Amino acid sequence: MNIIVCYKIVPEEQDIRVNPDRTLDFARAEWKLSLYDLNAVEAGMQIAEAVGGQVTALSVGDGKLENSKLKKAILSRGPEVLYLVIDEALSGADTYRTAQTLALAAEKIGFDLILCGEGSSDLYARQTGIQLGEILQIPVINNISKITPQNGLLLVERDLDDETEVLEVSLPAVVSVSAGINSTRIPGMKDILNAGKKPATEWRAGDVGLPVYESKVSPLHTLAPEQTDRKRIILDGDSEENIQALFENIRQAIKQ
Amino acid sequence: MDFNKTEEQELLLSSLRELVNRHLPDDYMRKCDEEHREHSEFYKILVDNGFGLLGLPEKYGGTEVDTTTLILVAEELAALDAPTMCDKMLQADDILEFGSEEQKKIILDLIKQGKQAFSIGISEPQAGSDNNAIATTATRRNGKVYINGHKTFCTNADRSPYMLCLTRDLESNKPPAQSISMWLLPMDRPGVRLEPLHKLGMGYTSTFEVYLDDVAIEEKDLIGKENMGWLNLMKNLETERILTAAQCLGAAQCCFNDAVKYANQRVQFEKTIGSFQLIQEKLTYMKIKLENMRNMVYKCAWEKDNGQSIKLSSSLCKLYCAQSAFEVADDAVQIFGGIGYTLDCRVSRLWRDLRVYRIFGGTDQIQIHVAGREILRQAAKAM
Repeated sequence: MNIIVCYKIVPEEQDIRVNPDRTLDFARAEWKLSLYDLNAVEAGMQIAEAVGGQVTALSVGDGKLENSKLKKAILSRGPEVLYLVIDEALSGADTYRTAQTLALAAEKIGFDLILCGEGSSDLYARQTGIQLGEILQIPVINNISKITPQNGLLLVERDLDDETEVLEVSLPAVVSVSAGINSTRIPGMKDILNAGKKPATEWRAGDVGLPVYESKVSPLHTLAPEQTDRKRIILDGDSEENIQALFENIRQAIKQ
Repeated sequence: MDFNKTEEQELLLSSLRELVNRHLPDDYMRKCDEEHREHSEFYKILVDNGFGLLGLPEKYGGTEVDTTTLILVAEELAALDAPTMCDKMLQADDILEFGSEEQKKIILDLIKQGKQAFSIGISEPQAGSDNNAIATTATRRNGKVYINGHKTFCTNADRSPYMLCLTRDLESNKPPAQSISMWLLPMDRPGVRLEPLHKLGMGYTSTFEVYLDDVAIEEKDLIGKENMGWLNLMKNLETERILTAAQCLGAAQCCFNDAVKYANQRVQFEKTIGSFQLIQEKLTYMKIKLENMRNMVYKCAWEKDNGQSIKLSSSLCKLYCAQSAFEVADDAVQIFGGIGYTLDCRVSRLWRDLRVYRIFGGTDQIQIHVAGREILRQAAKAM
């Protein structure tokens, strides 16, 4: 089975500073692989190991993707081949633009299955996978917690509130996996050393035929939520009165 | 001068952090120390995740890395207060270099399971720093080899199926380099008797006196060439010194991190204790020692990787790191105050553990003995 796993790179959240005017400062943040995409990579590896096939990693974005450490990082997680669509026009691309580029690249690479993570660990819109399936006009399903390849189909499970939905999905398809689907493998030194030897192809937007387009949405600003002052009410002990007072305080706070 | 780590080294260290975060429970090290259990579960995890055979040759399923990478791994694991296997790997490397195919298989199979393969039988009551004074003998009789002697400070002798046992041919009157042999002695043989030693720290290892009373072994248990056992030991001796220093550095870094965090939190006289200059002075000198240690360890590893002699620098490095790491740990205990003296506080355990680094792998005094003579020799040569 030819599997494409899509991934995104995101800034290290611990190193994002909030400026006094609530704007965000990314200057000190190193870029890293988006956390939930690693579950998609792991799911892809497990399928390929079970039924054979090749796992290809795919990402689209601006020049930050050229970082060779990040390329080794994704390849050290298992994929044999890497494709990147790098274009400054894709800097900060919205989910539709991202899905459109992924679709064009995926068609050019060829695939039976495309796997995506639950959402990106920075913006977490959870739209890219769904839009990708729609653009490609193939079955698309999200929040999948188990995948079993079976007779050229996929048997997938999705956890709902009180039950588990079991679905049969025909291929080709786009599947977004939940963060809990697996525990990701940790690359050892061999994996890391091998990663540098795996083939990586870089395309420009034009190479995949991405049309020039003007986004209908542009962000005006991104601000951290306003900090509210702490109330500094301390209730000592777990007496009935204290619990009642705690409850009252919370009720008042919610009302405001 | 390039102080950057390679991308591969950075990725490896980030893998190690991920592994420790995911698999090392908070109280694991404390419990192993308290209950005198070795870190076998974590060794298994290291092996299963491809870190077990780091530094061993490719043909034995290992991953060959340079000395710098090896010491970065040892430092990082120690700084995370996680068990390292790097020293085991170097000892295994001795056997892989000199051992027979059968011996290699035995040892590798054990290591791949994260198990203790052998204890080291060098020290004897009269042969500590003066290891030329080894008096254990190997005598041939009825087609067997009989080992007689008394080994001491044998780490994990009760948990290891084998001992790397050094014997000396006393009758030959030849110097140690031509009269010491190394054997892979199976510990389940009759005539092997253990007496435990109780230590101040490193509770996760066990330590024994081992009495060898006419222990019958086979010719095939010889490692390498007879009377050339000293060579086997020398192969990784200097690298082991840097590795020991790297572990000191890591442990000291761990103490320092804890102490800084505590200094920022602990309030006395209505201020955090970190705002007092006496604490700041401690932190400043601790930081200088850490920087010095790191520079020495990295430089020494770099010299080794570039084919330069590290005879002098590895001795200086081990001496300085063993002493400074203990001083850093001691200052950390002081910053923690009363809490730092309790067993619940990690720095007290590291303080106990670090003390022995000034004794094993060549005492402070032996390092000075090696370094002092080498300094004079180099100067005489230059004249």
